[in-house]
Amino acid sequence: MTLINSQIWIKTSRQVLFIAMIVLVAGFFSNKLRSDKMPFVEDWSEKSNTVTSSGENLELSLSEAKNLFNKGEALFIDARSGAEYDAGHIKGAKSLPYKEADWQFVEVMAGVPEESAIITYCDGKMCELSMELAVFLRNAGYKNVKVLSNGWSVWKQNGLPVETRAQ
Amino acid sequence: MKEEIRKKISMFLYHGARIILGIVFIYASYDKILHPAAFAKIIYNYQILPDELINLSAIFLPWLELTIGSLLIIGIWLPGSVFIGNILLIIFFCALMYNKARGLDISCGCFSTSQGEAPESTLYLLRDFSFVVIAVYLFIKVFISESSGLKSSFRITP
Repeated sequence: MTLINSQIWIKTSRQVLFIAMIVLVAGFFSNKLRSDKMPFVEDWSEKSNTVTSSGENLELSLSEAKNLFNKGEALFIDARSGAEYDAGHIKGAKSLPYKEADWQFVEVMAGVPEESAIITYCDGKMCELSMELAVFLRNAGYKNVKVLSNGWSVWKQNGLPVETRAQ
Repeated sequence: MKEEIRKKISMFLYHGARIILGIVFIYASYDKILHPAAFAKIIYNYQILPDELINLSAIFLPWLELTIGSLLIIGIWLPGSVFIGNILLIIFFCALMYNKARGLDISCGCFSTSQGEAPESTLYLLRDFSFVVIAVYLFIKVFISESSGLKSSFRITP
């Protein structure tokens, strides 16, 4: 018994080709027709996710963040989930998961003056939680909010102080 | 009589696998077709593809999933769709495993394009592995039954 003969491969190649054609046409036209169409090729390295809709860049470098941390001048806020915060976070950071920001806001931010320096962070180069939370806090009246991009990863990698769930 | 029952079970498994895999692919494509930009971000997060291929994958990959999912359910062009399905699932599996090994804490982007939930990478790996098993089973089934010229009866041995 020939397990797999050449005929089935000819047939398979032909079908793969047809499927590819269908997909190319469908993808091309669906992208063309939609209102938020994307370019086929885009330079992702230049895409920043720390720029507000008004064009202001909220990004803070690690060295600036470290400086503020050492002087104790900034409040770090973890935008990730509570479970991720429990597993480890920047020392002294408060937990305000962006997904629960609406109802946890009052409790977490109680007693934090509006002019205090706040640094939000999450994890991953493209994680948007910290940026979303920063915008949320700015809308709530905090003027001095910055984002530490990919914060948890870079903080850990540089051996800066961390802690697990604050008791 | 025994032979008959075996044949029935074999047929049942074969059609079951085909339809389950088809549903999985269609379900996986739905949210990505609606939100290609969000899907592109997830692909970017995987940090595997070069920048030039990110948007192309986000635009075309969901349609590929939808197409082969539909073909699997309808039951036509099976060699082609099963072949592509196997390749896709194995690539997804490798990507998930690669990121688990690197300890990259990102969203799976498997069935939805939302990024909020905490990633459960082990669970995703197991889930994807079960799909790979189904796909490989279908591959063997389709390619053996087709190449031995037994299109209508799904006997394993001629």
